[in-house]
Amino acid sequence: MLEVRNVSKVYEGKIAYQALSNLSLTVPKEQFVGIMGPSGSGKTTLLNVVSTIDKPTSGQVIIDGKETNRMNKRQLALFRRRELGFVFQDFNLLQTLTVKENIIFPLTLDNVSVKEQDARVHRIAEKLGIAHILNKRTYEISGGQSQRTAIARAIIHDPKLILADEPTGNLDSKAAKDVLETLQMLNREEGATMMMVTHDPQAASYCDRVIFIKDGALYRELRKSGSRQMFSRKLWAYCPPLGGRKMNFRQFAVKNVFRNMRLYAAYFSAAHSRS
Amino acid sequence: MIFFVYSMLAFHPQLDFSGQGNWGKGAQTSMDVSQYIIYIFTFFFILYSMSAFLKSRKKEFGIVMMLGMSVLQLRRLVFLENVVIGLASTIAGIGTGLLLSKGMLMLGTSVLALEQPLAFYWPVRAAWFTFAAFALLFVFISLFTAVILRSGTLIDLLKGSAKPKPEPKASAGLAILAAALLAAGYIAAFVVKGVVVIMALLPVALVVSVGTYFLFTQLSVYIIHKLKNRQSLYRSKTNMITLSDLAYRMKDNARMFFLVAIISTVAFCAIGTLVGLKSFLSGFVSASTAAMKYESYAGNKEQERHTALIERELTEAGIAYKPYVIRKKYALDEEKVRRFALIPATDYERLTGERATLGEREALLFYSENVNFGEETGPMPDSFPMRDGTVLDIRENAAMPASLAQITYADVLVVPDAAYEAQPASDDDSISYVYDVEDWPSTLAVAKRLMEQLQRNGEHHSFMARAYELNQLHQSFGQILLTGLFIGAVFFVAAGSFLYLRLYADLEHDRVQYRAITKLGLTEGELSKIVSTQIGLLFFVPIVVALIHGAVALNTLQNTFNANLVKESALVLGSFAAIQIVYFLIIRAGYVRKLKNVL
Repeated sequence: MLEVRNVSKVYEGKIAYQALSNLSLTVPKEQFVGIMGPSGSGKTTLLNVVSTIDKPTSGQVIIDGKETNRMNKRQLALFRRRELGFVFQDFNLLQTLTVKENIIFPLTLDNVSVKEQDARVHRIAEKLGIAHILNKRTYEISGGQSQRTAIARAIIHDPKLILADEPTGNLDSKAAKDVLETLQMLNREEGATMMMVTHDPQAASYCDRVIFIKDGALYRELRKSGSRQMFSRKLWAYCPPLGGRKMNFRQFAVKNVFRNMRLYAAYFSAAHSRS
Repeated sequence: MIFFVYSMLAFHPQLDFSGQGNWGKGAQTSMDVSQYIIYIFTFFFILYSMSAFLKSRKKEFGIVMMLGMSVLQLRRLVFLENVVIGLASTIAGIGTGLLLSKGMLMLGTSVLALEQPLAFYWPVRAAWFTFAAFALLFVFISLFTAVILRSGTLIDLLKGSAKPKPEPKASAGLAILAAALLAAGYIAAFVVKGVVVIMALLPVALVVSVGTYFLFTQLSVYIIHKLKNRQSLYRSKTNMITLSDLAYRMKDNARMFFLVAIISTVAFCAIGTLVGLKSFLSGFVSASTAAMKYESYAGNKEQERHTALIERELTEAGIAYKPYVIRKKYALDEEKVRRFALIPATDYERLTGERATLGEREALLFYSENVNFGEETGPMPDSFPMRDGTVLDIRENAAMPASLAQITYADVLVVPDAAYEAQPASDDDSISYVYDVEDWPSTLAVAKRLMEQLQRNGEHHSFMARAYELNQLHQSFGQILLTGLFIGAVFFVAAGSFLYLRLYADLEHDRVQYRAITKLGLTEGELSKIVSTQIGLLFFVPIVVALIHGAVALNTLQNTFNANLVKESALVLGSFAAIQIVYFLIIRAGYVRKLKNVL
């Protein structure tokens, strides 16, 4: 379904910064893949490249047999709204629209008939448990409901691939559990192919397969075997402990600089291209 | 961009001042008044743009306050910032004004058909005056903005203007009321004629203003709501996002729309009135003034010398002319209300080239149909009693031909020569020496020389020349017109800038939204379509409303003056529409570019 072939991404600028280096990855159909890694490891860059929002410096991204780097801007936009579904950390719902209107938004752009829109939105809303809030506005619903609305919007056009960027990052643990179970259910019952970026092992434990990225390259891969709880414990073992090591301020500051390297690089490259 | 708008506005009054030194005293007062209007308007405009600017920086202020800046320090920061911006833009404005003033003066000269060109000079006083006025203005505004800033808590500042808002609602009743008020105002404006217009002016303006307000706050939202309910239309292509955004914006912008529409209407009307009045007056003057006319009253001993002088001057200048001599005696009708000029039939025949086959006791009556502001003149008499007791039958009763209108303002009776001679002489009697010149515009120089020697009104004579009178009219009207155009232009630029600032305030919000939608798969074409529709509506809705208001107002004006202003008003409204289109294209391009930059 998804094939990432030798993708590299370099942010040009005074300090060139390599966010991805020669990364290859294959996701078969109906798999739920998690991408994990520390901040600055390149996981969001990978997601951006896969979601065609960003172009790789070299290498190819092939989705459902289509080479995305061969398409022009317009084709990419059409491709995104027909073949891909997006779930963001901050939901990205449109404030001026109701929940229902948000969900059918991709369909309206493609001029699907009103009847068809209604049929689809009701089926999906039932499934995701948001049928009772369809006519509410985005500021009237909770975070978990917002994210489920966003998921409904992501799947309403039956996309080939659903991409989720920290979908639980802004949610409390109860809402996060709801959202993750929703995603898992979609994967199991609807056979959706999904790729989720997260740094929460708990969230990642819902995936069939978790890929660790470090310094822009594949680092390790774990496949689920046995129960989710066991998988979760295994994932925790691979993650840096949360409040473990002590660090003084100077160490923190220096570390912070490296952590934000990507940001600096992006800033300098932007400043460079502007001048 | 904002600075540029500031300086634009800043140098407008400056231009105004620089002109003053050179143009006579004529419309000095109106220029002064307009200066104040521009100043006051500039004040509100800058206040608005400053607060828009501050609003868009709320988050920044929140951050510096979180970092420990005290409220007092923040106010000082904003105050100083404003003072610096103000000083810089005032100086820039005066500088730009200076650079452009020569061109503007030349433009003014040619547009207004002024006699001697407006000379360039160093407007030191004007510059100082502008500087002082605007320095004061900016200090005041800085104080104001510092006060505006005190709003609420830190968290409000940090969240900025991005707080969610409920969907705007419109009441059907008020929407209908808006339509009804507008219709009533328009009908009244179409129906009234003549003097009633002046009485109806205020109530109609009030009704239409209120109607316009509800049009934007209620009717527009209501219409959008209705459109949204048409699912097949609403839920296809980009309509959904366009319409729902528009509904939100409409309510936000309603008050501003109202302001812009009313301001533009005032500008249209002012300029339309001035242009119309000018052409109307020039038409009136050229219809009622002979190419050259020397009027000799009873007891004039110099008429031989004067007429000889006129003929000599005309001949020397190589201007062909046809002289006519028309004798006039004045008499009152039976009721002693209406005054008639009696003209002997032979003089009439010579002047008009028509036969006046009159019986011994017959007369022709010509009434003047000039400005009567809609008032009826009352019926004309059937017969006319002469002083010697004979009564003349009025055989024909017709409107005055142009050649007669140029001789007298009074109604005219053409009487048989014998009857004319029989009428006793009086002090009112006069003789018109009319010089008909086909190419009358060329007589201006001669007319000026003659005017100096003869004076317009002597003890026993008066002298008039069409070229001279028109020239006088253009001269004095030019200044009023220029002032009007200036005010109109300032209002117009301000209206456009209000819209621009409004957009600018929304830019941040739009960026976030469009970035999200683009990720979901919105093509650039669709993006610019949405943005164009929205900005287009923002730009043209108030202006179209203003254009319609203006057209109705000018139509009413036309009824007042009994004059045809269609050409003039079409010109004025058309040029405003054209400028607005250019304005729209520029701002749209800039806005779309800004949005695309961040995507």
